[in-house]
Amino acid sequence: MQIANANRLTPYLFLAPAALVMAVALLYPIGYMIYASFLDWNPSQRIGEAEFVGLRNYVNLLSDAAFRESFWVTLKFAAVVVTIEMVLGVGLALLLDRNIRGMSVLRTLFILPMMIAPIVVGLMWRYMYHPSVGIFNRTIKSMGFEPIPWLSDGNWAFASVVIADVWQWTPFIFILSLAALQSLPQSAMEAARIDGATGWQQIVYIKLPLMMPVLIVTLLLRLIDAFKVLEVILVLTNGGPGLSTEILSLRISRTASEFRELGEAAAMSNYLLILLVILTFAMFAYNKAVEARTARLRKAAEEDL
Amino acid sequence: MLSLTKMLTGTAVRASLTGTAVSATMAGALFANPYEPYEGTTLVINVPAHPHYNAMMKVLPAFTEETGIEVEVDQLQYLKMRERQTLELTKDEGDYDMIAYVVFSKADYVYADQLENLAKYFMNPALADPNYDQADLISGYVENIGVAGGQKGYLPGQLGSAFGIPFGSETSVLAYRKDIFEKHGIPVPENYDQLLDAACKIPEVEPGMGGMASRAASGHQASHAFLLHLAPLGGRVFDDNWEPIINNEAGVAAANALKTIVDCGPDGSQTFGPAEAAAAFQQGQAAMFMDSIAFAAGFEDPSKSTVAGKVGYALHPEGVRRGSQTGGFGIAIPKNAQNKEAAFLLMQWLTSKEGDLMVAMAGGNPSRFSTYENAELNEKYPYSATFGEALKYADPDWRPIIPTWGKINADIGTIMSQVLTEGLDPQEALNGVAERARAIMDEAGYYTWQ
Repeated sequence: MQIANANRLTPYLFLAPAALVMAVALLYPIGYMIYASFLDWNPSQRIGEAEFVGLRNYVNLLSDAAFRESFWVTLKFAAVVVTIEMVLGVGLALLLDRNIRGMSVLRTLFILPMMIAPIVVGLMWRYMYHPSVGIFNRTIKSMGFEPIPWLSDGNWAFASVVIADVWQWTPFIFILSLAALQSLPQSAMEAARIDGATGWQQIVYIKLPLMMPVLIVTLLLRLIDAFKVLEVILVLTNGGPGLSTEILSLRISRTASEFRELGEAAAMSNYLLILLVILTFAMFAYNKAVEARTARLRKAAEEDL
Repeated sequence: MLSLTKMLTGTAVRASLTGTAVSATMAGALFANPYEPYEGTTLVINVPAHPHYNAMMKVLPAFTEETGIEVEVDQLQYLKMRERQTLELTKDEGDYDMIAYVVFSKADYVYADQLENLAKYFMNPALADPNYDQADLISGYVENIGVAGGQKGYLPGQLGSAFGIPFGSETSVLAYRKDIFEKHGIPVPENYDQLLDAACKIPEVEPGMGGMASRAASGHQASHAFLLHLAPLGGRVFDDNWEPIINNEAGVAAANALKTIVDCGPDGSQTFGPAEAAAAFQQGQAAMFMDSIAFAAGFEDPSKSTVAGKVGYALHPEGVRRGSQTGGFGIAIPKNAQNKEAAFLLMQWLTSKEGDLMVAMAGGNPSRFSTYENAELNEKYPYSATFGEALKYADPDWRPIIPTWGKINADIGTIMSQVLTEGLDPQEALNGVAERARAIMDEAGYYTWQ
């Protein structure tokens, strides 16, 4: 009996160190942040001196037009960049999934933008967008057109940060999609070819559905990242003009350092966290539903035989 | 055992007392050296990466040589420096013996009781130099940066006292291209009408060149640029009862002035920070630049500037009154410092007549009237006389220095950016700022007594 008990406990014993590390490294900071979000906390105070204000930070934020604006900008930014990146990344992977000479060099070149530090990406694009000496406006002017106010007009500034982000992160989707494509079962592809499927049909009915699990994870990773992007926008526009590119993570950082409201910054982070958790769950729930449906269909098909 | 220890300590103390007495008498007899007790001390100081403090670094070896006090310097970009200090100052035992703080940190640090009141050091005859001459310190700077606890809390007044000494302080002047103004017969602007006329005339007569390069980037920069015009045009952010008056006629005039300047400025002005605006002027893309005096040395450096020798300097033009900005840095001793007395000696040495001149000669910004009058300095930096004159009109109240300022400042800056780039109506924009500012002030308790 005792031995059985001990046996049952052994796995937990082995898990304990990992669980402990997890609790200290993950739960403690999150708990700290949640606690801080209930405080009116100025960085010149210690946390113990801060006044407990309950849900005031959360309530204030809901009626704060600047916060709502920045929440909206974040949603818009994430939706736009992730859509463009998914289409471009998967498209490129489908195009380049073949044996051409020098393919490995090409692939390495494609993922270069991803390897550059975000601050450097920001600076680089900032110089390219420069109104008078930047490459874009110089080219446009030499062709006889009016220069574009890349960073000094709200709509253009939003487009500019989207372009920079797409440039940097499309390779991420590309490389994961390519890996997914290359691990697809050759038998399915061969069967499709024998059945006379066109290239387009192969993509739509065979490749994409088989890649779906990988694509969903990729999408999720990119989406989470897009919600947290900071450095490139910080360097490019610092949120301006007006609030046109002030995404949530930038607003959080400004709230903490410029407005000196640590409690409110923590509450904002929690809103962002809640949003991301909902998104993640929704995505996994969808994935599960799709899997269940496929399993049901397969079972039905097997029963028919 | 206990008594033995006591006895020994007693003897030791007596011995050391005698020692001090002897050395003090000797020193008194031969040469007074107030620095002797602190010889060998190492001070750790935290200062910004800024031309003035680079100049200070060149002068510090002279301090160590004279006093035997070593100085270790931690230099950071000024907003990073502020973040670091905010954390440092809440510790029980701080790492810094002396800090340089940005002017708007005064409110935060003093309110959180983190800076030493300087009275007890100036009252200590062993520390205070009788030849220090406080009256010679530039009064606008002292009022703006050093003193707290007077009028409205952040201004001087009968019950205020000093928590810091200005060091690396700045005011605003108008830098203009002498050659361009002469070529087209444009008078050097003395008032705002002339300034705005010149700003928009230059792009017409000198194609490809903007009128004035100004800060305008969303946030702190746009707010700074707006406030720069608000004070001379007769406006204020708050009245004496903390009611926002930023949206009155003067406020709208200041917003319109900024919009005119940016619209007639060089390409991309809407996103300029101070460095970009200065670079545009330095590269000949604008004919005027009105900002801190700290940029002048860069304009006159031929290795960085294409306009060296062609730049004239004039007072910040007059609106309904004269009012140039006051800003920059002060130095102070944190409450949690380890070597406060030695830190005071360093502070006093750096801001003394001799120290101030040495730093100014090395390229820093003077903190004393006498330094600005110094013939040697004027020979080396010909614009010093104009800067000294500008200081007489330096306005210590051009922006409020209160703990809620960070938030209001950011709001002004965001809205101004919308006025500049999205065509938001200035009156409507400022009404919104005033309304939100009132709510922030209300929450912070500024209307408790009304």
